[in-house]
Amino acid sequence: MSYQNPDVARVAEELMAKLDSLPDKKLILRDPLLRGLFDQLKTLPPQERALFGKEVNELRLKLNSLAGDGIVIEEQLPIDITAPWDVNTPVDKMPDFFPTEQGSIHPLMQEIESICNIYQRMGFMVEESREIDDDFHMFESLNFPAGHPARDDYDTFMTDEGLIAPAHTSTMQNRVLKKYKDSLEQGEPIAVVIPGRVFRNEDLDVTHEHTFYQLEGVYVGEGVNVGNLIATLGAFMNEYFSQQLKTKLQPFYFPFTEPSFEFAIERPTALKKGNTEADQWLELLGCGMIHPKVLKMADIDPEIYTGFAWGGGIERLVMMKHGIEDIRHFESGKLEFLRQF
Amino acid sequence: MKVSINLAQEFSNVDLKSIPRDELLQRVGAQLGAVEEVIDWAPKYEGIIIVKVITCASHPDADKLSVCTIDDGGITPDVNRGENNLIQVVCGAPNVYAGMFAVWLPPGTIVPNTLNTDPFVLEAREIRGVVSNGMLASAKELVISDDHEGVVELNRKEVGFEPKIGEPLTNYFGMDDFIIDCENKMFTHRPDCFGNLGVARELAGINGLAFKSPDWYIKPHFEDFQDQVLEILVENKIPDLVPRFMAVVMKNIEVKKSPVWLQALLTRVGIKPINNVVDVTNYIMHLTAQPLHAFDYDKLKVYSNEPSLMPRMSKKGEKLKLLGQKEIELTGEEIVIATDKQAIALAGVMGGADTEVDENTNNIVIECASFDMYSVRRTSMRYGLFTDAVTRFNKSQSPLQNNVVLAFAMKKMHEFAGAEQASDVADIHGDLKSPVALVVGVDFINARLGSNLSADEMSQLLNNVEIETHTKDNNIHIVAPFWRMDIILPEDIVEEVGRLYGYDKLPVKLPKRTIKPAKKSELLEFKHNMRQRLAAVGANEVITYSFIHGDLLKKTGIDPDRWAYHVRNAISPDLQYYRPSLMPSLLAKVHANIKSQAGSDDNRFAIFEIGKAHVKGHEDAEKLPEQMDRLALVVTADDKTAKRYHFGASYYLARKYLQVITKSQDEITILEDDSYSVTAPFQKGRSSIIAVNGVLLGVIGEFRPEVRSALKLPEYSAGFEIDLNLLQKQLRAQIYQPLNPYPKSQQDLTLEVETSVLWDAVQKELFKTLAFIKNEQGYNFEIVPKDIFSRAESEKKRLTFRIGLSHPEKTLKTEEVNKLIERLAEVAGKQFNALRI
Repeated sequence: MSYQNPDVARVAEELMAKLDSLPDKKLILRDPLLRGLFDQLKTLPPQERALFGKEVNELRLKLNSLAGDGIVIEEQLPIDITAPWDVNTPVDKMPDFFPTEQGSIHPLMQEIESICNIYQRMGFMVEESREIDDDFHMFESLNFPAGHPARDDYDTFMTDEGLIAPAHTSTMQNRVLKKYKDSLEQGEPIAVVIPGRVFRNEDLDVTHEHTFYQLEGVYVGEGVNVGNLIATLGAFMNEYFSQQLKTKLQPFYFPFTEPSFEFAIERPTALKKGNTEADQWLELLGCGMIHPKVLKMADIDPEIYTGFAWGGGIERLVMMKHGIEDIRHFESGKLEFLRQF
Repeated sequence: MKVSINLAQEFSNVDLKSIPRDELLQRVGAQLGAVEEVIDWAPKYEGIIIVKVITCASHPDADKLSVCTIDDGGITPDVNRGENNLIQVVCGAPNVYAGMFAVWLPPGTIVPNTLNTDPFVLEAREIRGVVSNGMLASAKELVISDDHEGVVELNRKEVGFEPKIGEPLTNYFGMDDFIIDCENKMFTHRPDCFGNLGVARELAGINGLAFKSPDWYIKPHFEDFQDQVLEILVENKIPDLVPRFMAVVMKNIEVKKSPVWLQALLTRVGIKPINNVVDVTNYIMHLTAQPLHAFDYDKLKVYSNEPSLMPRMSKKGEKLKLLGQKEIELTGEEIVIATDKQAIALAGVMGGADTEVDENTNNIVIECASFDMYSVRRTSMRYGLFTDAVTRFNKSQSPLQNNVVLAFAMKKMHEFAGAEQASDVADIHGDLKSPVALVVGVDFINARLGSNLSADEMSQLLNNVEIETHTKDNNIHIVAPFWRMDIILPEDIVEEVGRLYGYDKLPVKLPKRTIKPAKKSELLEFKHNMRQRLAAVGANEVITYSFIHGDLLKKTGIDPDRWAYHVRNAISPDLQYYRPSLMPSLLAKVHANIKSQAGSDDNRFAIFEIGKAHVKGHEDAEKLPEQMDRLALVVTADDKTAKRYHFGASYYLARKYLQVITKSQDEITILEDDSYSVTAPFQKGRSSIIAVNGVLLGVIGEFRPEVRSALKLPEYSAGFEIDLNLLQKQLRAQIYQPLNPYPKSQQDLTLEVETSVLWDAVQKELFKTLAFIKNEQGYNFEIVPKDIFSRAESEKKRLTFRIGLSHPEKTLKTEEVNKLIERLAEVAGKQFNALRI
C-alpha cells in the first residue's frame, strides 16, 4: 500500500527493507524509526494529525502481522486528557463507578481505626509510626546499648546507608516524648498511641510475616504507676471486647521499660477455645514502666515524671476475630479475601 | 532455661517440693516470667521398678543373649513366674550378671525413650524361643544418656546404699524430677537466673520465704596447698575485656562416665553427658550460671614452650581448631585463651580440639573467668556458635563469683574424678567492681508501684532473696549481692519489690485526666475519609509490602539504583528495595486478580492503597528519608468486561475515581516529563499531572505498553498516585450556593471544533464568560458535560454542554436564555473557531 504522508512512506520503505535481516522479526516493532513517527505526531499541527496518525497506525498493524503474532501491545494515540469521557462514548457506557457492594476497606485498617477510636475516646492522641528510621530511635534512645544481646531479638532490615526498617513501633517513643514534653511540663500528661507498620527479617509462613502492624502506647505524667498501667490497659480491653475481663501481668524483659511485663487478659467469651490453663488467657501486649534512661534521653526528668508504655500486634486480633487461617492473606491483595470485609 | 526442681531443692533451704505444683507454676508465671514448657518426669517411668538379677545363663540359641531370672519382690501382678516366684527375662547386655541390681520394665510398660516418638509397649514375647517378660533397661532407654552398651546397674557406689527390690525407679537418681522450662528472654538482665541456684533463690522469694545460699557459694573454700607439682604460668593481657581470670591444675584424674544421677540430670536439663570431667563443668555451670572449661594439661604442654594459659586478643589469620574439629580463622577481634605459643580456645564460646579432655587425660587445667559480654556476643555471631557458655556469658556473669565457683568445682572434680590440686590457684584481676549500693526511698517505690508498703515489708521481700537492707528515715539502704549484676538503679529495686510482692496485689486505678479533648490527627482522619469514600464507590483497599523487588521497579520503568533505598540484608529479593512509589506494587496485584475471576462476566475492579513511599535523596527535617503519604489506585477490566460496560480510554474512569478524593478540585495538565519515579509507568499522551490549588500532587493515566506487557495488565487499565498529605492541605472547603427561588432553564450548546481543541479549554472559556455575566447581571449558572462526538475520519469534533441558567430575582424568559447561549457561542467561535451546531 502507499502512504500519502511522505515521512510515513519513507519509514515504511526502510523498515520493510530491514525486516528480512532481523533475527527476531518482532524487533521491528521496537525500531526507533517507528517510534520517531509517534514522536513526530505529537508535534504536528492538529489538522495534520488525524491523517498522519491513521497512516502510522496502519503501518504498525502491517508490521505487526509481518512480525508474526507477537503479543506486542500497541501504543495508543493521545487522548484529550481534560475531557470527561472519550469521543463518541454512548450514553450507557459513560465512565461510572463500580457497584458499591463490591467496595471494601482492608480488615487491618478497619481494626486499627477502631482501636485508635477507643484510645481517642480515652484521651489519647494518635501519631503514625515511621517505616524507615535510624539506630538512635530504634535502639539507642530505647536503652539498647550497642552490641547488647537484647538486639538479637530484632532481626532488622537495614539499608546500605545503615537506616533501619523498625522492628517495633517503640521507635517513635523518643520523638513523641520530646514533642509533648512542653505540654507535660504545663501539667498535661503525655497520652499518645502510635499505630504503624513494623518489619522483622524472617521467613514467611501461616503465622509469620516479615511485615506486620503494631500499636504502641505511651502515657507519662506525675505519679503514674504500675496500677495505672494495669487499669488503663484493662479499661481498653473491656471496651474493645465489650466485656469485663480479668487481667494478668507476667514479668518480662525489655530494655526500654523497668519493670517490664507481658499483659494477658482472660480469654473473651467470643474467642473461647479449650479448657487448659493456657487456654484461659490471651497474651496480647508487652508493656512496662518507661525506663528512666528513656525519659532522660527525651530530656524528661524521671524523678518528677513517670510513665508507662505498651505495644502489641494487630494481625493476631483480626485473625482471632474472623478466624483467618493464614497471616499472608493480609498483604496478598487477593480480592477474594478483601471483599469479605 | 530448664530448671530442675530436684536440683534447685538440693541447694535450697526452703521446702520447694511441698509447694503444690500448680501454685508454684502460677507464681513463676506471675512473678518470675513466662513458662515455656513443664516436663514432669515421674509419669515417664510409671511401673518401672528395681529388681535383682538372681541367675544369668547363656541363651541356648544366641551367643550374645543371656537368659536371666529376676526378683521383683513378688509385687508385679499378671506376669509369668517360674521357680521361687522369679521372672524370666532375656537380656542382650554384656554387663548383666547374677547378683546385680537393675532396672526392669515389666510387660505393659512403655519404653521411656520411645514415649515422644512412637511409644513402644513391652510384652511377654519369645526371643529365639525363650520367653522374655519385659526387659532390663539401658541408660538410653531410660533417657539418662545415649549409652546403649549395657543395662543400668544400681550398685552401692552409685546409690550410696543397697537398693530395695521392687521399689519404683523414681525413688532413685532423682528420676521423679520436675522441669520448668522458663523463657530465656526474661532473664536477659538476670545472669544469675541462668543457674539453678539463682532460680532456687527466686522460687523461695516469690513464695515469701527467705533463701539462704549454701556456704560454699558465699565464701570460697580453697584447701591449704603447698605442693606445687604441675606448674603453669597464668597471665592476663587484656584486663579490660577479661575482668577476672582464674585457673588451677589438677592431677591424677580418672576420666570415666559420670554417676547415673548426674548423667540423668544433665540430660533432663538439655545437656549431653560426655565424661565425668566435662560433666562436672557443665553441672556447675547449670547450677551457678558460671561456665567453666577444662583443658588437658599434658596436651596443653605440648602446645606451649612453658606450660601457660592466658587470655589475649586473637591475631588476624590465626587458626584455631574447635571442639568437634571445625577449624576457624580468627580476625584479631576475638578473645582467645592461649598458651605462650598458640590459641587453644575461643574464650567464653568454645574449647579447642587440641587440648580436649579425653579418656587418656591424667591432668587438667580448670579455667574459671569472666569475659566482656559484647565481645563474646560478637564472636559467637561471627562464627555462628551458640553454646550454653555463650548464652550465659553474653548476659555478663559476675566476676565476683569466679572464686567460689572454682573452689566448688575443684571439690566436685575431686569427688567425681579423683582429681587433686596440683598448682596454686591463679586469680588475676584488676579492681573488681564492688556490688552496687543504693538508697531508695520507700515513697519512691510506692509511687511507682501504686502500692502502700512499709519499709519493713519491702525489706522482708528483698531480704528473702538475700538483698541486704537497712532502713533509715524512710529510706532503704541496699547493697546488691555479688551475683546480681542487674541492680544499678533505684528502679531496679522498684521492680524487685513489685515482683516479689506480686503485681496482682497492686491497687488498680485509672489515671486522672482533665476534660480537655485530645487533639485529632488531620492526616489520619483524612485517610479514614478517603477509605470510606473509595469503598463507597466500589473500590477495594489493599495493602502491599513496603519493600519491592528491583525487577518489578524496572518493569515499571523505575531505575531502582537512582530512586530506591536498597535493603542490604533482605531475606528474599522480593524485599530488595524500599518502594519509591506505590504504583508498581499495586500493578503487580492486577494480573492475579484478573486471572482468579476469569470467566466472570463482571471481571473488573478498582484497587487502592494508602501507604508510604520513600524516594532516595529526599530527606525530611530529621535528615531521614522523607515519608511520603501516598494514595494509589488502579482501575481495570478484562477485555470482555471492558467491552460490555465501558467505552474508550480507561483514563476517564480513573479520573472519575480521582475526583472522588479531590472532590473535583483537581486541575490536570499533560504529562510531559516522565523522568520522575512516580511518573515512570505512565504513557505520555494518555496521562496527566494532577494539581490542586496550583500545587502538584501526583499523576494519573494509562500505562506504557512495556509496563502493560511486563505485568500482563488488561488493555483497560489506568490509575493514579497522589500525595495525600499535600492533598489534605490543599483541598478547600466547598462554597455554598444559596438555593434559587426561581426555576432553572436549561439549554444544550453544541460546538464543533478541531479535534486538537481540548475540552477543558472550551469549558473554561464558557465558565469565564458565564462568571462575567453573573457578575454583571446576577445570573447563576452551571455547565454539565453532555456529549463528545466525532464522525469517523473527521478532523472535527462536537462538544455538547448543558448550560443551566437561573436568576435570583426572576424567572428567565426563553429569549433571554437564547441570547445568553448565543453569547457563549460567539465567544467560542472567536476563541476556538467553533461553529455552533
